[in-house]
Amino acid sequence: MKKRILIVDDDPNIVDYLDALFTDNGYETDSARDAKEGLEMAKKNTPDLVTLDIEMPGEWGPRFYRQMTQDAKLKNVPVIVISGLSGNTYAIPKAIASIKKPFDREKLLEIVKDAIG
Amino acid sequence: MAEQILLIDDDLEHAYALKTYLERVQYDVTVASDTKDALLHLYHSAWDIILANPQIDEEVAESIDTLSEVHPLSQVIVFGNPAQIDTAMDRYGLSVIHYLGLPINSKELELALERARKNILQSKKIDRYLERLGDLHNAQNQFNQLFDEVPCYISVQDRNLRVTASNKRFKQHFGNVIGGQCFEIYKHRNTPCEKCPVIETFNDGKVHSTEEIVTSKSGKQYNVLTHTAPIKNEQGEITQVMEMSTNITQIRQLQDHLTSLGLMLGSMSHGVKGMLTALDGGIYQLETGLKQADGTRVNKAFGQVKVMTDKIKKMVLEILYYAKSRELQYTTMTVETLADNIIRNIKPMAERNNVKFEIKIPDSLGHIEIDPSWMEAALINFLENAVDACSFDRDKQDHRVTFEILPKDKGNLCFTIEDNGIGMDKETRDKMFTLFFTSKGSQGTGLGLFIANRVIEQHGGSVKVKSEMKQGTTFRIRLPRKRPGNFKNNGFPVAPR
Repeated sequence: MKKRILIVDDDPNIVDYLDALFTDNGYETDSARDAKEGLEMAKKNTPDLVTLDIEMPGEWGPRFYRQMTQDAKLKNVPVIVISGLSGNTYAIPKAIASIKKPFDREKLLEIVKDAIG
Repeated sequence: MAEQILLIDDDLEHAYALKTYLERVQYDVTVASDTKDALLHLYHSAWDIILANPQIDEEVAESIDTLSEVHPLSQVIVFGNPAQIDTAMDRYGLSVIHYLGLPINSKELELALERARKNILQSKKIDRYLERLGDLHNAQNQFNQLFDEVPCYISVQDRNLRVTASNKRFKQHFGNVIGGQCFEIYKHRNTPCEKCPVIETFNDGKVHSTEEIVTSKSGKQYNVLTHTAPIKNEQGEITQVMEMSTNITQIRQLQDHLTSLGLMLGSMSHGVKGMLTALDGGIYQLETGLKQADGTRVNKAFGQVKVMTDKIKKMVLEILYYAKSRELQYTTMTVETLADNIIRNIKPMAERNNVKFEIKIPDSLGHIEIDPSWMEAALINFLENAVDACSFDRDKQDHRVTFEILPKDKGNLCFTIEDNGIGMDKETRDKMFTLFFTSKGSQGTGLGLFIANRVIEQHGGSVKVKSEMKQGTTFRIRLPRKRPGNFKNNGFPVAPR
């Protein structure tokens, strides 16, 4: 069965990009443009991995992460932070990786592959 | 030092007798006993006293007559027999200080010499005074020139902070207001300033300095660096204080500009990174779409690349506009051409966002004198904001943006841009033209409307806005048809305080 990745980012162009990239490489994707939508989506289709933007309208990425980890089903899902903010390494300390925009897609795919295969 | 005497006498024996006598009473004597000697000595040195029998030779007599032109300080005493003295008196009059008959009475000679000496001292004194007077005069002139030309505003103030004197530059910018009070002239206020350096100097006699913002008589504001110094009377009491203010407006403006440039680059980097990532995404999908020969994907990706390139281009241009001042390049064009160029740019964006774009532009609106590239960019900016306001709105189904141009009065046109988008709250309305203010999060730079508003202002126009939350926004832009004549176009962006 295909692995499922949830993309949380407020920029539709970037969601589109990540969606195409992951789909092309054999993953299934869901997407959300803010923390609230992301949480709903994660509860509906439990993802195998989440990519998360930090700065979004409404609730920011860290808040989403806290809420996600309060859900027993979701709390061990690996998270990759993809953000334009510099120095965000500690925004979500438990993230398995923190990638800065604009990112190297090969590297991102490598990290994803290492995490969920 | 002993006075130098030139003794002209053809009677050598008499001459040496006189010389011996004079040297005994402490004079320095040189004897000339023939014409050649006499003329040589007369012209080549400035003698203090000349003691002469002019009858030695007509040429010598003549030379004595004209001596005062060459050596005006030399004192001449003439001696001779009674007939010779008569002739000499006729000839020289008052230019000789004393006439001595032969044989010379020693007391008379001493008195004559004493008078000569006094004359010399007095002349020298007068000369010295004249010289000093000249120096003083020059110094005063120089001081006045310095006072007027120094690149500072200088005023002298009494204890009541009344200006008793001011320099040219001060008068130019703040008016010739002798007797006016400092705080009134500089700051247009009724009470002295909080920490007045002039009062402090009156109190402690020391130099004080502050930085102030002052307002000139034409209403212009200047940043000035102010120093004060006490002016004391002969008893050492401080009677007045001099206040010198250097205009540092340009430096402060430059500083503000640099600070805001730094701020801008910082606040913008997030947006730029997002755009670059989205561009990467477009290119990736274009690439894979071409590989898979997936026409739909290629088309979509190409559209995205185009949008992102436009966005990046716009942002770079905004940064460039802000970073670099430039003069407006005016051309006269028809209003239709201007409108067409704008509509061509906005139509595709409106269609992409499902916004109906209504154009209400009557025929034959005539001509307008503008810098087309900046004016188009400014008006496009207002329209783009209108489209954005619609696309952000999720409450309404149908969205429209109206673009209308009407002649307002004889010299002005009115551009109206109306949308039924999300509208603005009070804060957004108040700050929308402020540098770096954006309501679009990382999608905006906070430069667009700031620059658009500046461009309109530089063209002598003005912008009015009406907005209601969830209802929509109307921008009314008044623009003169002709370039403003008296508007100073310095192109230098001034950051808001």
